Amino acid sequence: MIKLKIIKNVRLKKSSKFLILLLASILVGTANAAIFYSLTMQPQVTVSAPVIKFDHADDEPSGSTVDDAWCLLAAKSYPNATLTYEQAVNLTNTDSAPHSFMLRCISITPANGNSEVGNWTSIKFLVYNSTGGYVFSLNFTVSSNNWVLAPVSGQTAYYSIPASTSWSIRLETLSPATATEGKVCNIQIAVDVQQ
Amino acid sequence: MLLPELFALLSSDLFLLLSLLTCLLEERFPKAIPYIYQVAALMGFGHLMVSKMFLTVFDVDLRFWYNFFYLAVGLANVVAVNVYLAVSKKTWMLAKVWSASVTFPTVFISIFFVYNYGYLQGAIFPLLTVDLILILSAAILGIAVAVLLSPKLLRRR
Repeated sequence: MIKLKIIKNVRLKKSSKFLILLLASILVGTANAAIFYSLTMQPQVTVSAPVIKFDHADDEPSGSTVDDAWCLLAAKSYPNATLTYEQAVNLTNTDSAPHSFMLRCISITPANGNSEVGNWTSIKFLVYNSTGGYVFSLNFTVSSNNWVLAPVSGQTAYYSIPASTSWSIRLETLSPATATEGKVCNIQIAVDVQQ
Repeated sequence: MLLPELFALLSSDLFLLLSLLTCLLEERFPKAIPYIYQVAALMGFGHLMVSKMFLTVFDVDLRFWYNFFYLAVGLANVVAVNVYLAVSKKTWMLAKVWSASVTFPTVFISIFFVYNYGYLQGAIFPLLTVDLILILSAAILGIAVAVLLSPKLLRRR
């Protein structure tokens, strides 16, 4: 049998009671305030100009469209002859701090396995810094109707572009002698920028 | 923009205030009262937690009304303590001080926040009625405070 012993003689002084209630009040008040604060946090998203933007370049393919946030390069390729756009498009860091970016392949058509892939030998995007030095590249070469990407992952490493600096992208295209005129290849590449 | 949960936060703080004040005046109140008010304040925490958990489920009308109800309960307790001191305990002076230092400011602050909330919400709710009731209550309370502090005001007439 369990006996419950009621302690009656323990009497708290008024100051002790008040102190206990005060501490409990601080605890409850702080918890309430924390919950309320978490309710009031409202994220604000402001549209701003891209930190690294596309810019027109000296050797831009005719018919191309270059906007701050996107560009469409209407490049050509010739059978059995490498066509080089020395400065197809520029990438400019408009910020006062350096930023890292990389090139990442999103899609390419015609897709692997399609016989039309054989109309190209290679399409290369080479990035050069402001002094003309080679930095990195994203290459598409063809092997047996399949695109072979270099790097294999389809994305480069991150490279830091200094503040207020323009780098250029050099575009090299080459088609085999047997290529059919009028065939079109669409490559979509993302420029991922680290904030 | 004010959130309706502000009323729960305000009311919870009112209960904490009541708990501390009734503890200080413990000889005039039942011993359990300060602790009951602490539990009531904890219920405010529960209100806030429910609001947080079901923020996307409950619409703003529902959140307003259950938070406003909790505030109304808190204010009713403040007034009830005031009346208890005045009527039951016959401690007129304490009731006057309580009325001037606790009841009137808390009711007035509550009116301010409710009115402000209604204004910012574009009076989606029938807030005009709520505002009128609260303003009327504050006016009556203000007159009562004035009369309590200076009973001669009535005798002059």
